Amino acid sequence: MQLRLQREERIAYQMVLPYVVAIVFLVVILLSSNIISSFRAADGGFTLKHYQSVLTDEAFPTILKNTFNWTFFSVLGQIGFGLIIALLLNNITRGETFFRSLIIILPWGTLDIVAGVMWKWMYNDLYGVINDILLNIGLINDYIPWLATPDMAMVSVIIANIWKGFVLAAMFFLARLKGIPQYLYEVAEIDGANMLQRFWSVTLPQLRTVFMSTLMLVIIWTINYFPLIYIMTGGGPGNGTETLVTYIYKLSFRFLEYEEAAAASNILFLIIMVIVAMFMYWINREEAE
Amino acid sequence: MTRSGKQKAVKRVSYLLLALISVGVAFPILWLIITALKTYPEIYGYPITYYPHEITFEHFVEIGDMGFFKHFVNSIIVSGGTMLLSVMIGLFPAYAFSRYNFRGRGSLLASALLFQMFPMAVLLLPIFKILHAVSLLDTHLGLILAYLPFTTPITIVFLRSFFISVPKALEEAAVIDGCSLRQAFIRVILPVTLPGIAAVGIYTFLFSWAELMYAMSILVSDEIQNIPAFLSVFVGEYQTRWGPLFAGSIVSMLPPLVMFMLMQRYFIAGLTSGSVKG
Repeated sequence: MQLRLQREERIAYQMVLPYVVAIVFLVVILLSSNIISSFRAADGGFTLKHYQSVLTDEAFPTILKNTFNWTFFSVLGQIGFGLIIALLLNNITRGETFFRSLIIILPWGTLDIVAGVMWKWMYNDLYGVINDILLNIGLINDYIPWLATPDMAMVSVIIANIWKGFVLAAMFFLARLKGIPQYLYEVAEIDGANMLQRFWSVTLPQLRTVFMSTLMLVIIWTINYFPLIYIMTGGGPGNGTETLVTYIYKLSFRFLEYEEAAAASNILFLIIMVIVAMFMYWINREEAE
Repeated sequence: MTRSGKQKAVKRVSYLLLALISVGVAFPILWLIITALKTYPEIYGYPITYYPHEITFEHFVEIGDMGFFKHFVNSIIVSGGTMLLSVMIGLFPAYAFSRYNFRGRGSLLASALLFQMFPMAVLLLPIFKILHAVSLLDTHLGLILAYLPFTTPITIVFLRSFFISVPKALEEAAVIDGCSLRQAFIRVILPVTLPGIAAVGIYTFLFSWAELMYAMSILVSDEIQNIPAFLSVFVGEYQTRWGPLFAGSIVSMLPPLVMFMLMQRYFIAGLTSGSVKG
């Protein structure tokens, strides 16, 4: 037995270690590359200049605010919409595959760039279908220049992002809903719980853990999500929809400010790490209970 | 109302809402197709027409003339390469993590998944520099290599969950029958988990099919560009040429949609068991 375990362990290490070592090595190289260039002065010495120039960039407070708004409202919409769709799909039996294919797979199968282009066209103030529909049903009296003012542009990209991204939440929730044992509902029903009470006392508590891990994934995913904003507004008008990610991209590939881009990348990385740590603490505490 | 009557009502409302939501969700895609079939005067016509009065395929012809097929092939190369390499690299670590007890398994698994924590934007620049240093910028191989750190962790998570679902007794029986561990893996485990492996492969395929930021940064020359990189060129133009852009968009969506349709059962099972419980 002991011998077999040792043998298994050796095989396992042979299978695992090459990959893990390579990945860890790569992570170390890439991160240190970012860290080194973010602190390196033109003469090769140490400097905080790059961080200073990012943090004191007059657009930076706006960028942070945009990143927050973009993330908060996109996540709210995606999680809410995803939950509603999962609950509805869980309610029906016949035709579930049909609706699931249509609702979940269409946005997901759409390339990011295609989604961006498509929404940009629908938002077009003169030839866009959204203005036309809203005008025809009498919700607006005049065409809205969706992408032309900072606030409306932010609203527009968030709506598009909800369309593109609710799928992940919907699928996770649906899978969990399907895993809730039926007898829990039956017990609740025998106890005299009505439908709303059953939802409150059985469904919601059962969704709790999935909810938190999904929330974490969706938040991180949204903060890092780049294509829609890049294509629809390019971060504009002004800095109206500039988020940390589009800012990093611009610094790197438009302004060729590699050191500043590295500094901004590290700031983004820190933000993500703090969020992950918070959720991990939360999830672990939850599981310990 | 009786209990079953109530349940029926809930069902009916659910169907109604789902139908409404389906229309809303599908509308953008539908609109994309409608617009792509319109002539230019109609695209820029006022008032807007809700169906093409004169159906035309001129935009599809135009995007074809711009070498779209070449970019399609480039996309296949990048995505196919990413898929094959991701599965090949992920297969054995995933198997070991699912099957064997060994010291440090938990922390090794955690390190294997390190990359999932990193925003792609954060690592773009250093990866770009490395590719530059080894002269792999503007090559398919370069882009594939850039994707692998991001796709292989997911591959491992998914495959591990598929392997876990196969009873260990299956390969133990094979070993007793005289198979070596390797043979047992190839003859017994692989066939059973093949649907799962295919689903994972498709996931990585679609990831690299759709990814934009790395594709447009790394693939610069027209000959090399895949679909996202090629389409992104339109976006930067002063006057967007919507017609060919939409036509190209529609063609680019076909492979993902077909794959999703074919594989959705495995896909959803794999995604959920892998990431939620794992």
